[in-house]
Amino acid sequence: MDLADKLAILADSAKYDVACTSSGVERPGRHGALGSTAAAGICHAFTPDGRCVSLLKVLFSNACAYDCSYCVNRRSNPRPRATFTPRELAELTIGFYRRNYIEGLFLSSAVLGSPDATMERMIEALRILREEYRFNGYIHAKAIPGADPRLVERIGLLADRLSVNIELPSAKSLDALAPDKSKAAILRPMGQIAAQSAESRRDLAVYRHAPAFAPAGQSTQMIIGASPESDFQILRLTEGLYKKYALKRVFYSAYLPVVADSRLPALSTQPPLLREHRLYQADWLLRYYQFSAAEILSEDEPWFDEYLDPKCTWALRHPAFFPVEVNTAPKAALLRVPGIGPKSALRILQARRQQTLGMPELKRIGVVLKRAQYFITCGGRVAARGTRQEVAAALLDPGAFGVGVRQLSLDDFVARPLPGAAPAVHALAAAGVEAGRAARLVREEALQCLTRRI
Amino acid sequence: MPYQAHMTDTAYRYDGTFPGFLCCVFASFARREIPAAVLGPEEGQTTLFGSADIATDAARARRVAAGLARLGGTVRERVLTGFLSTDPGKDLALLRFARLCFTLGPRAANMLGDPDVAAAFALERGVNNEAHKFIEFLRFEERGGMLGAVIHPNHCVLPLLRAHFCSRLPDEDFLIFDATHGIALLRQNGAVQYLAMERYAPAPDAAEQGWQALWRRFFQALTIEERRDPGLQRNHAPKRYWRDMCEMWPDPAAP
Repeated sequence: MDLADKLAILADSAKYDVACTSSGVERPGRHGALGSTAAAGICHAFTPDGRCVSLLKVLFSNACAYDCSYCVNRRSNPRPRATFTPRELAELTIGFYRRNYIEGLFLSSAVLGSPDATMERMIEALRILREEYRFNGYIHAKAIPGADPRLVERIGLLADRLSVNIELPSAKSLDALAPDKSKAAILRPMGQIAAQSAESRRDLAVYRHAPAFAPAGQSTQMIIGASPESDFQILRLTEGLYKKYALKRVFYSAYLPVVADSRLPALSTQPPLLREHRLYQADWLLRYYQFSAAEILSEDEPWFDEYLDPKCTWALRHPAFFPVEVNTAPKAALLRVPGIGPKSALRILQARRQQTLGMPELKRIGVVLKRAQYFITCGGRVAARGTRQEVAAALLDPGAFGVGVRQLSLDDFVARPLPGAAPAVHALAAAGVEAGRAARLVREEALQCLTRRI
Repeated sequence: MPYQAHMTDTAYRYDGTFPGFLCCVFASFARREIPAAVLGPEEGQTTLFGSADIATDAARARRVAAGLARLGGTVRERVLTGFLSTDPGKDLALLRFARLCFTLGPRAANMLGDPDVAAAFALERGVNNEAHKFIEFLRFEERGGMLGAVIHPNHCVLPLLRAHFCSRLPDEDFLIFDATHGIALLRQNGAVQYLAMERYAPAPDAAEQGWQALWRRFFQALTIEERRDPGLQRNHAPKRYWRDMCEMWPDPAAP
């Protein structure tokens, strides 16, 4: 098997891993080494599904000893298998990196024999990269659940970011769908990484040249839609992970049915991409907007609104909080206004120190006013008045009604609902309604519903 | 605003260089006026306005540059970066911004509600955004131990790519050719120079084509068909960048 085939197989096996960020650590280049990292991360290409390619994301091997039912690489699935040698992988990374194709390496692996044996070979590949090729770029490595803590420590000293996949949002689902993995085996390395990373940061504050353990922190991911947990349970779990393990990111991956199994959704099920999108929106609210999970969802209302983003939903539930006066409101209050994000809030704070802000000023600052105008006042004046229907139309999330040409083959120019459109649109289109009309029908109904609610 | 009192209908003409632009700022103070337009050598041969030719004077340019430096990093960066833009009217927008900052001090840079500040900020942002796209999408090809890349930017982004690539490839020689403006950034033996170049057309050799094929193979393997959304792809990587990205080229093996 030549290198190109191996690369194609192992990239194909890794593509369902969603984490492909190169953020979290700023490290300038230095002579005698190759590469640098940027704190915000850098994307280098975008695939036709619109996802960013930042890292050379591959599995070290896809010859898995486990048999997790949701996974394409499970032992019982007949598909081509391949394994890199550590040196091949290192050369590939350097070759791509020098040409500015990638920001670094994302190395995960199927369980090759045992977790320890797998980790040792991954560590060898990273050691060759860091020590022999003097690679100074970004490395994201997966810790294999069940591996020896000493191996996790070694890989943490080579990688910038570590991650342990939590896989499914509850221990019960994990037992049902991934019998080889246990909650304890996943949480143990996560706790170890959190503790060592914090310790390393303390050391670095005192000694400049102390070894850095996973300086870009750790992340995790879970599969959405393969098991019956509600959005509220998932969001509360996410919040807990951020608090307890100081995770940098929690990634969600909409479940794509890859196997017929009585324990899993049917093969014909659409991947719940809109739900995944709402979870990411709520995740952003947790990390950048000072929301808590209990504010976004609750036991009585455990699911996201399909047609409204979580921030708008919150705003509609709390009419007493609005309007917010842009010239005096604290940052936290500005961040609660639908349409105002951290960048706009910062610019408003800076600008209002020098001048009074009215609507023309806000427009020039670049604040997106489509939704925000109904929730703010400028110098005591209401920014905009609208009928209930106008307000509802501005608030509806257009992404839920997305229709476009997806070009699944070369001569395919028929409009279809986009993958992220609401399930109702997909259902109508599947029943034979023309896609554009289906989207309009669903939107009208959602609009009426929302108008009544306001 | 005090400076708006002396608007005139004169158009300034200058040689299009940055020192020349600084001399326009100087002239605008010396003549106590805000010009109606600031034109480079190729712009607007006939104007409705009377025009004044502003000579480039190194000493005056240095005085204005020192003044801008005193106004702090934000102001200085905004004028320097904004000047790399090729938008028509950028010279006047930056001159008005510079005058406002000289009047109000460094804090003026944050007054984004002001039309002049917003215009200068938009220029700076446009250039920075495009430079960032090329940090993402530029593709090197190796020939004879040296890395080379061709880009087609709208703005003159080379000075903004310099620090990033010099830091990233500290021991490599490389050349980035800006085909739109005919300028190349050459880094050789640790020294950087800008060269005027007509064209740079090296053909990738077999080994290089092998790397590109590998990269293309990797790129194609990554797509998840169930999520296919070409519109989203074009949002992140607009089509005008595609000709500089080897994975977007049509497959050479296909007929």
